[in-house]
Amino acid sequence: MPRVTVQVRDAAGNTATAAADYSLGQPVLGGYYLSGGADPTADMAGGNFRSLTQYRSLADGYIFPGYNRPWLVNLGKAGVQMNMVLELKHYGAASQGTQSFAVDGVSYTVPAPTMTIQQRPGTTWPKAYGYGQVLKGQCDGLLARALSQYRTLGFGVNIQLASELDTDHEFGTTEDGKAYNWAESDARAVQAMNYILTWFKARTLPAGTTFSVGLGGFDRACFQRTHPESLMSRLDYLQWNAYATNASHTALSRFRRTKDWAVADLGPVALSRPVIIAEWGVRVAEIPNQAAWIATVPPAIAQLNAERGPRIVRTNYFNSGWGTLTPKATGLAALREAYAKRPYV
Amino acid sequence: MAAPTATAALNASVFTPGDQMLLTVTYSDADTKPLTVTIVVTDAQGNSSAPVKVTAVIDPLTVTVSDNSGRTWTRVSDNGSVAVYRSVA
Repeated sequence: MPRVTVQVRDAAGNTATAAADYSLGQPVLGGYYLSGGADPTADMAGGNFRSLTQYRSLADGYIFPGYNRPWLVNLGKAGVQMNMVLELKHYGAASQGTQSFAVDGVSYTVPAPTMTIQQRPGTTWPKAYGYGQVLKGQCDGLLARALSQYRTLGFGVNIQLASELDTDHEFGTTEDGKAYNWAESDARAVQAMNYILTWFKARTLPAGTTFSVGLGGFDRACFQRTHPESLMSRLDYLQWNAYATNASHTALSRFRRTKDWAVADLGPVALSRPVIIAEWGVRVAEIPNQAAWIATVPPAIAQLNAERGPRIVRTNYFNSGWGTLTPKATGLAALREAYAKRPYV
Repeated sequence: MAAPTATAALNASVFTPGDQMLLTVTYSDADTKPLTVTIVVTDAQGNSSAPVKVTAVIDPLTVTVSDNSGRTWTRVSDNGSVAVYRSVA
């Protein structure tokens, strides 16, 4: 580690010495996600894209690399850092019933998911494997299946447990007919995340495996509840997402919001962890000139990283939903230009 | 003779290549005293010259900065108790 040493000497030769250690961070990794988990290779080609977010349900029988996704292996072997979001939310499987399957010669039966999340009034509430189900070991087969596939990938990934716990819990959750409010859901999720971490860490993992838990980062109290030091000591990264959805939103304000809460509310272990921005995006309805907004991101990230608190080390643009680049070619050109500048180089 | 004291603080602990780095050195020594000598020459008749002032420092301190990664640090300011040095990551 580099060290700068100061020596102060008086006329008689008496000295005092002081030192300060520092380290040089790697450039921030500019990253991407393409709508539908589609092949982003063509969009990334020729640009300084070094990081990628992907989403898989643990219900899906094809988690690593995913169904019909040989390109993920190629990108990973080419050094693109993968943030694999593994969700208890149920999708990607033919039915929502019981699953029976064998993993490396061991048979598992996993019951149907019994929890609902994202209970926004007036919408259909998605099913998810319940935190209680996880704690009872009912989902161990899903974890075993994921790990078995992961071992064949050929490179290590960051496993982000859940996409956004705050979005999942905002309107409470229900498991086995019992309703839990937001805070109760957070507490149950922390227990379930701990269970999953214990399960994985007790087994041989590919070199370079890291873990984080997923948050949108839009609610301060939830962010604090889901980042106790006991959990953070087992995680490698902090994570949140950043979207501009109002003409008044600046890059600095959007990336800084959750960081400021973290610095104010979290403990030293949490704050020692670097940050993955699994998703960031600019909503074209309110900010028609997406390219101009994207151009302000490099200096914003550089400024935040020069300040006290955890460093942002990956930022993955979410070219889908709120972040959909319109027109795509203009947005992609702006992303390429941004990722060609400090702090991305 | 008292020994000097020194502290060193950087403006961050992790730097991105190309970042400006600032090092603040705070230093002192109980013996270090700035003083002013005022000289007046008086002859046998009692005629005095105008006073002449000379400044000096008793037990002055020298500050040296070294970096084990070979980085060069340049002094930006120094007021006798706080010195700021700059480098580039």
